[in-house]
Amino acid sequence: MKLWRHFCIVVVFLGACGGLAARVVYLTVTEREFLQEQGDARSIRTEVMPAYRGVVYDRFGEALAVSTPVVGIWTDPSMGGLDRPAIDSLADVLDLDADRLAADLQRNAAREFLYLKRRVPWDLAQRVRQLDLPGIYYQSEYRRYYPASETAAHVVGVTGIDDEGLEGIELSFEKILQGRPGRKTVLKDLYGDTVKDLEFTAAPEYGRDLTLSIDLRLQFLAYRELKAAVESHRATSGSLVMLDVHTGELLALVNQPSYNPNELGYSSAPGMRNRAVTDTYEPGSTIKPFTVLAALESGRFRRDSAIETAPGYFRVRNKLIEDPINRGTISLETVLTKSSQVGIAKVALAIDERAVYDVLTRVGISDFLATGLPGEVAGTLTDAGLDNPVMRATLAYGYGLAVTPLQLAQAYLCLATGGVRLPVSILKQDGPVVGERKFDEALIRTLLEMMEGVTAPAGTAPKAHIEGYRVAGKTGTVRKVGESGYDDERHIAWFAGIAPVSAPRIVAVVLINEPLGHARGGGEVAAPVFSRVVGRTLRLLGEMPDERRPI
Amino acid sequence: MRTVIAWLAALLAVVGSGIQVVQQTHDVRRLHGQLQDAQRMQDAELAKHSRLLIERAALAAYQNVERTAQTELAMRFPLTVERIER
Repeated sequence: MKLWRHFCIVVVFLGACGGLAARVVYLTVTEREFLQEQGDARSIRTEVMPAYRGVVYDRFGEALAVSTPVVGIWTDPSMGGLDRPAIDSLADVLDLDADRLAADLQRNAAREFLYLKRRVPWDLAQRVRQLDLPGIYYQSEYRRYYPASETAAHVVGVTGIDDEGLEGIELSFEKILQGRPGRKTVLKDLYGDTVKDLEFTAAPEYGRDLTLSIDLRLQFLAYRELKAAVESHRATSGSLVMLDVHTGELLALVNQPSYNPNELGYSSAPGMRNRAVTDTYEPGSTIKPFTVLAALESGRFRRDSAIETAPGYFRVRNKLIEDPINRGTISLETVLTKSSQVGIAKVALAIDERAVYDVLTRVGISDFLATGLPGEVAGTLTDAGLDNPVMRATLAYGYGLAVTPLQLAQAYLCLATGGVRLPVSILKQDGPVVGERKFDEALIRTLLEMMEGVTAPAGTAPKAHIEGYRVAGKTGTVRKVGESGYDDERHIAWFAGIAPVSAPRIVAVVLINEPLGHARGGGEVAAPVFSRVVGRTLRLLGEMPDERRPI
Repeated sequence: MRTVIAWLAALLAVVGSGIQVVQQTHDVRRLHGQLQDAQRMQDAELAKHSRLLIERAALAAYQNVERTAQTELAMRFPLTVERIER
């Protein structure tokens, strides 16, 4: 072999080695940052490990809100890994518009993250995986389902696309339900499979489950009956609140109109307002039992005290107070059962100036109840102007103050417990609930017996009667305030009741807002709903009938 | 002679630890794979559980229970309340 050939090969070889070494030095010294970044961008990913949101159950363990895993499918457009056939097949499986998807990818070509579709059901995501496309990534997410849909929508509420509570229990108990998503940094191989966890930044903390006091059976019953009543009376809205007298728990809370939380486009929908806690109304005659209670407490009136209501109207300063007919001289009990405006106003004016206000304050009728339902408001009740007899007379029959249906139910709860005020709760109570005594038990017992007359055939609400059970209650028919004072056409029909009287178990308040048609009073519109709902409730709860039947 | 032995020992240690590193890396990947499988299984079981909860709620919805009771089983809500003692 000639020497020069040998020499040539050695030079070329050394030259190539030197060139390579120089290139290596150049890349590691001057291009290091850029190359490292690009390498990491292709292989290192921070993954979010979503935390499972807690399940919301009713008091017997029926699911009201459940998260089920779904998949968020995304890609890195800057890698440009998707060609047209891939886009077509992807669009086909995911039911997307292929042209629009291609345009989206084009437009976001500089970005490193683009959702192709979120909340894809598990099985569909599996089909995408089988397409075996490069550059497609999967992120586990959860979607919230509400099996009770409209029935419990106002109580349970709804979550948004990022699984955050927007309404109802979902919003107010967000911290308990939500849990914390975890984060980790992972190393991916060429095929997008994770080969190594590099670093755990935070472990996922799963949300805790929540058990509500709601009984879904009763909730369903209440929803169905309220809906039927609102539709048949062509009313604008309605609410029904039902409480357990033993514990102060909310057993049912429904409103009309309602909405389906499963079909929500994550914006506000009509009917989302939880009117039973957010809207205040004048309670009207449903306040009269508290006026009678103030009269009994004063010692100046007894159940059978005679009150002159003839000639069916009387004037307090410039205000004319009227009854529909002249009832003559009637007892305090009849004032309540016939709902006499003249009678109750005279009673209120005969007792201490602050007596009725004081009773209403003790039952906490306008207090903020802090049940935890979002949007809950305090009512309005003021002691300003109590020295004015007109104010005292109108307060006696429930005008000049405003309460939510939940607040009225809470006030009646205080009567049903025999004068003990219990906290109202939306969560299931495990132990016994301790209340605070506000009234004398014997007086309350007398009052409940008087209120029983309301649902008797001669009372204002015989339709609230429940076969087999004794029912105490009070109707209310309130004229709404229009543009020029009280409107004679627009009414609110109330019924608030307690059953069974001998050992109260259930308090329920029914409100029908602006019923149209012939029947508009609380006794005609709201009382039948009470009877149907509470009647079935008592039987479902196994309460003993207590009606004394005539022999 | 002692130097040679020392060199050989060092070489053996280097080769041994190298093999160990390879072994460990392999184990980590294998265990990571198992962990991922377990996590996938957990996800699948959770998914199943939530789906079953939803399915139960859908099938046993009170609308359905009531309809079935009334139409298929010809049941009705009793009009009067009776106390039965046994």
